[in-house]
Amino acid sequence: MRLFNQKETSDLRKASEKEAQKPGHSLEIFDFSGENAITVKDVDLYYGTFQALKKINMEMPKYKITAMIGPSGCGKSTLLKSLNRMNDLVEGCRVEGEITIGNVNVYEKGIDLSALRKNVGMVFQKPNPFPMSVYDNIAYGPRTFGIKKKGVLDEIVERSLKQAAMWEELKDRLNKSALGLSGGQQQRLCIARALAVGPQILLMDEPTSALDPISTGKIEDLCEELKNDVTIVMVTHNMQQAARISDKTAFFLLGEMIEMGDTEQIFSAPVHPETERYITGRFG
Amino acid sequence: MENTVTQRKQREHIPADKVKNGIAKYIFIVCACMSIIAVVGIIGYILYGSIPAFRQVGFFKFVFGTTWYPDGKKFGILPMLVNSLIVTAFSVALGGTIGVFTAIFLVFWCPDKLHLKYKGQNKFLAKLVAWLNKLNLRTVFDQVIKLLAGIPSIVYGLVGLQLLVPILSYLDTTPPYQGEGILASSILLAIMVIPTITSLSKNALEAVPEQYFEGALAMGNTKAQAVFRVVVPAARSGIISALILGTGRAIGEAMAVIWVSGNRALFPTGLFSNIRTLTVNIVMEMGYAELTLHRPALIATGFVLLIFVFIITLSLNLVPKNFKGKRGTMTLNGDSTAAVTYVKKGLLAEILKVIAIVCAVLVLAILAVIIVYLTIMGLSNLTASFFGPSSADVPTLFPALGATLELIAITLVIALPIGIGAAIFLVEYAKPGSKFVKIVRTFIDTLAGVPSIVFGLFGMIFFSGVLGLSYSVMAGALTMVLVVLPTIIRSTEEALIAVPVSFREASYGLGASKVRTIFRIVLPSAFPGIATASILAIGRIIGESAALIFTMGALYTFTGNPLDSSCSLAVLLYSCANEGYHMSEAYALAFILILLTFVLNLIVYFIQRQVKKKR
Repeated sequence: MRLFNQKETSDLRKASEKEAQKPGHSLEIFDFSGENAITVKDVDLYYGTFQALKKINMEMPKYKITAMIGPSGCGKSTLLKSLNRMNDLVEGCRVEGEITIGNVNVYEKGIDLSALRKNVGMVFQKPNPFPMSVYDNIAYGPRTFGIKKKGVLDEIVERSLKQAAMWEELKDRLNKSALGLSGGQQQRLCIARALAVGPQILLMDEPTSALDPISTGKIEDLCEELKNDVTIVMVTHNMQQAARISDKTAFFLLGEMIEMGDTEQIFSAPVHPETERYITGRFG
Repeated sequence: MENTVTQRKQREHIPADKVKNGIAKYIFIVCACMSIIAVVGIIGYILYGSIPAFRQVGFFKFVFGTTWYPDGKKFGILPMLVNSLIVTAFSVALGGTIGVFTAIFLVFWCPDKLHLKYKGQNKFLAKLVAWLNKLNLRTVFDQVIKLLAGIPSIVYGLVGLQLLVPILSYLDTTPPYQGEGILASSILLAIMVIPTITSLSKNALEAVPEQYFEGALAMGNTKAQAVFRVVVPAARSGIISALILGTGRAIGEAMAVIWVSGNRALFPTGLFSNIRTLTVNIVMEMGYAELTLHRPALIATGFVLLIFVFIITLSLNLVPKNFKGKRGTMTLNGDSTAAVTYVKKGLLAEILKVIAIVCAVLVLAILAVIIVYLTIMGLSNLTASFFGPSSADVPTLFPALGATLELIAITLVIALPIGIGAAIFLVEYAKPGSKFVKIVRTFIDTLAGVPSIVFGLFGMIFFSGVLGLSYSVMAGALTMVLVVLPTIIRSTEEALIAVPVSFREASYGLGASKVRTIFRIVLPSAFPGIATASILAIGRIIGESAALIFTMGALYTFTGNPLDSSCSLAVLLYSCANEGYHMSEAYALAFILILLTFVLNLIVYFIQRQVKKKR
């Protein structure tokens, strides 16, 4: 069943732009009381005529780390980006099926993208702190959501940096440029920046692929800490990383989800032969 | 045996090649130094020409004197200085706002294509709509900006005099209710700085990494919020540079404001008070100034103007390139009791977005009005006598056209080799980042920022005076060489940089010398870029008037001898409209000038499209 053809998708974009003209409404439109934070049902995704995702079905449990693995071009990043609808930026991209987050179908007409992305934060492959001070980077999100009081902002900045385990490192350089930090610090700052708006879900798109092993370790430790408060979905090229930190692992190949299960099971007793061939390094 | 012969031959070859390479290198260095010589020469001769005024009036009394009354030997330029600064500030505030917002619209909201719908029966209209829908809007807008930039300043002056001032006169509540003065000058200059500011701001915005924009969207920003809160602040150093360059352009502009300022050397009292700027002072009085004191005083006016332009250009270097952050530490006083509720915001950003759209539409409208007005007035004034024979008091097209072509030919013959040589030195020989290169670049930028009228003063003193060329096409051409040199160097440089390094490596790999590689491989590949440079230079020559009035003269006749005086199309437009006796010729000339600008822009566009296709 085609839920969204191309024209409707562009209508959606228009709708969300219109939505933006009516500021002042609440952003808490999600209900995360259920067991699964994200449910993906029969999702097909096309870039123009190319089908990048084929009938994806998966459930991502709350307060767990779900890892998505697979060779390059298998669609795992594409799926990640459709969870917070960053794929809307790609011209000719069209999604069919249902992605339910916090009991709301995020591709429903008139959904507020600001509310979605406030609740579903994202960390990119390459650290992208804004060219501002450390403090302004963290305070950026809250400020755009109407927080002006210095006391409240201070509190949020301190809490977010502590949550990202970098308060001790950065408390004396809050007004220095964020671009002067090391790559690993920049990436953790981006995590802190995402946390500052209080997301329920954190999407991570190969967050450590541009980093050295020590910084990678720090971010992995941080993820273990964070899953007490947020649900994490992580795309990774690094199978050891998936095995080390994730609770659930999904294996993708050529736009299809081949297998998903508990991480231990996937890495010790995969059901599908392709999964086994990939995790034992015979292709990829 | 054979082997050793060829080896010997090669060995014999090397010294000759070495000499050739060495000589070529020095020639290129000399070309690169021409900008330095030009700037130093301009400063030196303008100062030299001003000394009689500074000596007799006194520097302090000259700059801070409040009365300008040449017949009474009173030379104080303070009112004109103040007027120049006020008009510049107003025009940059107005033109800068419109220019920056237009750039923001172009980068973020300009749709790729129109989506017009036509359901009527008219075949012509249906075809027109189909054609409009096919246009790439971004390209169209780029061309609009380039056309606005290419319209000669004297044409802006004519439009100001005949269209803007009459409109403004309805708002003018002070006698003589003519609409001239500060407001008219500021609006006209604002229109003139819009293209500069728009295109440079656009470059700055496009250079901001995409990931900042994505990062802001992923935080839950609307597109408008991401643009105005992250991307625009990230581009601020480029935008500030654009505004500074616009300021330099506005303060040095003479011909556009000459007829709309009101021409009274008094302090301003209101938006419609008639004023005279530094540049207007020079153009208006130079024609009848006596040589002992009045002329030096006018040259000194140019010297003061030049100092201001240099201060503006040098302040470009003070613009911080990166965000650095503040010193010291910051203490946080968190208020843990306050409740945090996030709500959707972004009304301000949406308002700014609407402003951006309005500004872009305004720019389109301005160009449309200018073109429609000049086309109607131009076509209705194209009379047979305009194409007929000329005499000393009958201005016609062909002498001016002939003089313009001769001017272009002489200028390019001199300027192209020097400019290309300088570009070759900068790209092929100089170590990037070396001190000498930095100095050369600073001087090229400085030369590019010198106002036309100052070039005119220098040409008048040096080429007409010192070299004894008096008023002649040759003196005008030599002056124009200096005017177009920065343009040629920069465009050629870009073209040379775009030639792949692998071409050079392949040539060296076959044993070719550096000079051979440059002339046989690099320059031919860069030919389209050099052609573009020439056309840009031709556009500049055709549109120039301030630099030519006092070097080439304003005779209506053309003998063909480069040592005789004559006048180019733009200067003819000036003299036709300035006296007011030949307005219909002025309109015809303005139309022809704008048509030429359009054609030249079109040629550049097609060359560049061809180059892009090949890659």
